[in-house]
Amino acid sequence: MTSTNANTTLSKAGLGQQPWWVAEWMELINSYRYKKRLERAWIYAREGNVLSIRFEGRRVQARVQGTEPEPYKSKLWLDVLSDEDWDFVLEALSQKARWTCQLLAGVMPDDIERAFAASGKRLFPFKLQEVRSECTCPDKANPCKHISAVYYLMGDRFSEDPFVLFQLRGRSRAQLLKDLAERRRQQNQSGQATQSIGAAPPDAAAWWSYSAALDPNLVVITPAMEGSTGLDEAGDLPLAAEPRFPEANQLFLERLRQHGTQMGQMAMVQAMAAGSDP
Amino acid sequence: MSLLHAVWLPNEPQPCLGLWADTWRVAKPRKHEGLEAPQVHPLALNAGDLTAWLQEQGREPKTSSSIELQLTLPSRSNGLPLMAGETLPKTVEWWPWRVPALAMQPAEASSWLGALPLASAPPELGDDLRWWAHMQRWVLSLVARGRWLPVAERLEPGHVRASWQPLLNHEEDRRRLEDLVGRMPAVVCAADTPGSLGCRRPGARRLQIAAIAAALLDGQLRQGFSADGEGLDPLLHGWQQALGPGDGVLALKDEDSQRLISATSHWRETVAGQVAPARAVLELEAPPKGSELWQLHFGLQAEADPALRQGAAAVWSAGDGSLPLGEINVPKPSELLLEGLGRALVAFEPLARGLDSAAPTSMELAAAEAFVLVRTAAAKLRDVGVGVVLPPSLSGGLASRLGLAIQAELPAQGRGFSLGEDLEWSWELMIGGVTLTLKDLERLAGKRSPLVQHKGAWIELRPGDLKNAEKFCAADPPLSLDDALRLTATEGDTLMRLPVHRFEAGPRLQTVLEQYHQQKAPDPLPAPEGFEGQLRPYQERGLGWLAFLHRFDQGACLADDMGLGKTIQLLAFLQHLKAEQELKRPVLLIAPTSVLTNWAREAAQFTPELAVMEHYGPKRAATAAALKKALKDIDLVLTSYGLMQRDNELLGSFDWQGLVIDEAQAIKNAGSKQSQAARTLARPSRQSRFRIALTGTPVENRVSELWALMDFLNPKVLGEEDFFRQRYRLPIERYGDTASLKDLKARVGPFILRRLKSDKSIISDLPDKLELPEWVGLSSEQAKLYRKTVDATLEAIQRAPLGQRHGQVLGLLTKLKQICNHPALLLGEEEVGSDFASRSAKLMRLDEILEEVVEAGDRALLFTQFAGWGHLLQSFLQQRWRQEVPFLHGGTSKVERQAMVDRFQQDPRGPQLFLLSLKAGGVGLNLTRASHVFHIDRWWNPAVENQATDRAYRIGQTQRVLVHKFITTGSLEEKIDRMIREKASLAADIIGSGEEWLGGLELKQLRSLVSLEDNP
Repeated sequence: MTSTNANTTLSKAGLGQQPWWVAEWMELINSYRYKKRLERAWIYAREGNVLSIRFEGRRVQARVQGTEPEPYKSKLWLDVLSDEDWDFVLEALSQKARWTCQLLAGVMPDDIERAFAASGKRLFPFKLQEVRSECTCPDKANPCKHISAVYYLMGDRFSEDPFVLFQLRGRSRAQLLKDLAERRRQQNQSGQATQSIGAAPPDAAAWWSYSAALDPNLVVITPAMEGSTGLDEAGDLPLAAEPRFPEANQLFLERLRQHGTQMGQMAMVQAMAAGSDP
Repeated sequence: MSLLHAVWLPNEPQPCLGLWADTWRVAKPRKHEGLEAPQVHPLALNAGDLTAWLQEQGREPKTSSSIELQLTLPSRSNGLPLMAGETLPKTVEWWPWRVPALAMQPAEASSWLGALPLASAPPELGDDLRWWAHMQRWVLSLVARGRWLPVAERLEPGHVRASWQPLLNHEEDRRRLEDLVGRMPAVVCAADTPGSLGCRRPGARRLQIAAIAAALLDGQLRQGFSADGEGLDPLLHGWQQALGPGDGVLALKDEDSQRLISATSHWRETVAGQVAPARAVLELEAPPKGSELWQLHFGLQAEADPALRQGAAAVWSAGDGSLPLGEINVPKPSELLLEGLGRALVAFEPLARGLDSAAPTSMELAAAEAFVLVRTAAAKLRDVGVGVVLPPSLSGGLASRLGLAIQAELPAQGRGFSLGEDLEWSWELMIGGVTLTLKDLERLAGKRSPLVQHKGAWIELRPGDLKNAEKFCAADPPLSLDDALRLTATEGDTLMRLPVHRFEAGPRLQTVLEQYHQQKAPDPLPAPEGFEGQLRPYQERGLGWLAFLHRFDQGACLADDMGLGKTIQLLAFLQHLKAEQELKRPVLLIAPTSVLTNWAREAAQFTPELAVMEHYGPKRAATAAALKKALKDIDLVLTSYGLMQRDNELLGSFDWQGLVIDEAQAIKNAGSKQSQAARTLARPSRQSRFRIALTGTPVENRVSELWALMDFLNPKVLGEEDFFRQRYRLPIERYGDTASLKDLKARVGPFILRRLKSDKSIISDLPDKLELPEWVGLSSEQAKLYRKTVDATLEAIQRAPLGQRHGQVLGLLTKLKQICNHPALLLGEEEVGSDFASRSAKLMRLDEILEEVVEAGDRALLFTQFAGWGHLLQSFLQQRWRQEVPFLHGGTSKVERQAMVDRFQQDPRGPQLFLLSLKAGGVGLNLTRASHVFHIDRWWNPAVENQATDRAYRIGQTQRVLVHKFITTGSLEEKIDRMIREKASLAADIIGSGEEWLGGLELKQLRSLVSLEDNP
């Protein structure tokens, strides 16, 4: 099988390790039988022929530069779940708090399909045919290389936000969370009723006065410990790389790191001088 | 005096910091009702004055713009805004005021704030500026630790703003945010949108404060961020450019901006959640009896107060609404909890098992999992912004470490115990609040489980514990009284590396400890036999304390407030030694020249049994032999600081029993020759001598001056000067480090006794008005001038025709009183030179007393009968104290007069010293804000003095009033004083007529009245 071919190339292009749900998406497109077309699609994707990708409601709208001067317009969408189906999914989703926890923390739970199994539907398309698409190009084949190029790049967009897939299936993040909260509330009527408390009136005595001493741990300003800056902890920027600038993300991060080190040193010098002013 | 304030302006085109200042002046109240726009703040400095004043202070911003801002301020119902420090009226209204200000951009603001003092503020800076200084300090720390990420946020459709955002997920940073929110002086966020009128109240603070930190950090990080776009795609390039200096606005296509915003927000969320009023919390509960499984409960915890928690059940019930948590309301609580648990999953995997139900509230943990949570995961969880609550015996504090529980008692003997003496004592091992034996420990360690149960509590054993305990048991060290004092002074002190968790002292030791740490007053000692006078109860306690420390050979600093009788207590102590036959050798007392006379007089009055000698003047002993001879049968020797320094070697050759320094602030500069000389004398090569320091200044608050004092008293307590500077002085003075300050106070506390006259609970038996005679001598210039004037004028009077004599006598009296005040007065000088104070003994003493008054923040009235002296004194005091000193005299207009009085009584930052001429200011005024009255020169009629005193001592006075009356010994003034006191023997009508009657005195009488007596 040469199906891993494109995937490997993509990895070499600097995307780093993919979350499992992106890998799954990639596997789907790589199962396409027409490998030549896939290779051309990959080149399109890598060389920046995909000019834009937009999530408009439940559809993905893209503009892809083909052989003609005017870019082609490609559309991709998935079958939307019916309200009834969503009812089943939400019911199942609400049974495991962990799923929501992980989604909120930016991670796609690896057993998410079990929530969808209740409705007999899936979150991820099972077969490539389930990904509907249209393109304004003259190519009769579907998916054409333009759509395939968009397809490649979309996987990467999924890693930016796990809620995107839910949106393609017909529920936005806000809707989803609201529905889930409501279900949990219904299941948990025993707790306290909520009440709102008005703002306390301002205290005129505390209007001007401040008598606290400096936090003892701010007496000496310390530098970051190895690997503990915000940049270290945040890791790679979850911004899909533009294929024409494969090193851009790393380059940008490196510049931020340099700036941070320099500013940190300056801050410590400043801190040392502080308080000695008349 | 003007006071500077800073206010945050979130709504200018860019957020910025506004500086403004208010100052006291007479303002006419105007009603707000019916006005279309807010009024101009009547007490604020206008733009020009503000800039000029800031320049004068060296605090003008490098770049700023003049603006007018609108502030909502607490105001009086009569329509005037309140100022900082003013007493609050019964009803406070909230009105907007227009205030001229200087606005600074965040970058400039953060560098300006960085130059502010962090600890004690100079008087021209409002309290709010220290809050700002602390805020900036925190921002610096965030930058130094790299706690930030760049992000992109939506500004308005089509516009994105790139900015640097602080990451506030670490436990300590969250606490700092809460501290700054909770303690914020509201004036910091008092700015309104202009154009509105009406009473307003401030809104939610946490977000505002987080936004301020963000803006300051953003301002700082924008500086010097290069816009080198090499190798970046257009989106990143644009973002990078927008992160540099400027407003950060990025013009992007909709889809690009959407992508950038969502990507950066996810990037940020993996590290830190949003700034919310509450966070997820995991609470670990020990297994119930008979079970091995630990419980982990889920819930929300208020950021502002970690003790405020709400279980998950209540959170789930709140649904999409909000949840009350103490005084705050948490919006979308379930989303907050779920998101927090999501982040917790990454730090503590076993949690996943507990989240498999729909609305989980708790889960069970195996012992091994609980241990992982206690040891490593708790810290990680806190760093991702999830609270963790552990059982008290495991909460990681000192109490959860292996330590000691000690029982000790003094050996049962009579008195004579000393510091090095060993105590009778026993000890047990203790951990997490339960005691255990070495055997228990061995058995528990044998279980090879890190969390073990002992006597019902779960405790955590650490690898080194058993070894440390074995070592300690093998050594079984003795415990000295010295150790006991140290171990009970500060928390967390250790004995052979084991912290002392509990210290139980037997009754005898307890008494010593309590007295030593001044938790309990030492046993009072009644006035000793031979003491001519009465001791007030607090003075008996002071005497007891001096005797207590003397017994341990510890130096003592008696720092009672002025007027409480330090002199009497010291004299009583010496008499106590004498009565107990313990005073075997002379004691040397060093005092400023200006109070030597006072000492001699009080000693003669209260302790006539003490043989007192002055080591002073040209006739003093000059050789060791002469000194030894002179000191035969002498108990107390008085000398000045100047002579102590000059005759240091001579005085050092004698074997003193004790050394006393009065006005001990005189040795505060450790490097000065005077201070070194005094400290050398305190450390004899042969026998030890007791050391006592007397001072009326709050020594324990003056860190820089403490070292020299303690080096004099008990050199070991604070160690070498370099160590002291690094360990205490720099952290406390520069950064206001409270931990170091607390430690320092615990160390020096046992040796300093300070009672305040305002503390009526301790000192209940003092009258509300205390008269303090201040005996002073004459400087040599004064004495020479005095004699010359007496001789010349008496001669002239003798020759003068009878008709002129009357006038000449009165003229002489005036001249002499002027000389007693200051030679410059007689010589008609108008300038105040650099040696001005040293030319008059009276002024030197006045200056010493005023130092205590000003330091204590008290206010004082100073009365004189000479307008010329008032003017000279005014310029001297203004230079000396760098503050305005008003002078009310006969030439003061009615309007000025009222303004001076109003200001003294009402201005929160008004002058502390107020000069008045006896005639113009002695009647009719209400000056109850003063708690000190000085009569610098004497008047014949006590009624006139009393009337003047009553300006302060009258209805409305809430403090004790100290009345200081200066008397120059040996001079005319002393005789006036004697006459006033013997008033009964004089016809009232003679006294009542002022000085007139003096004109008719016989020459002989006159001579005895005016001539200077050499030896008082």
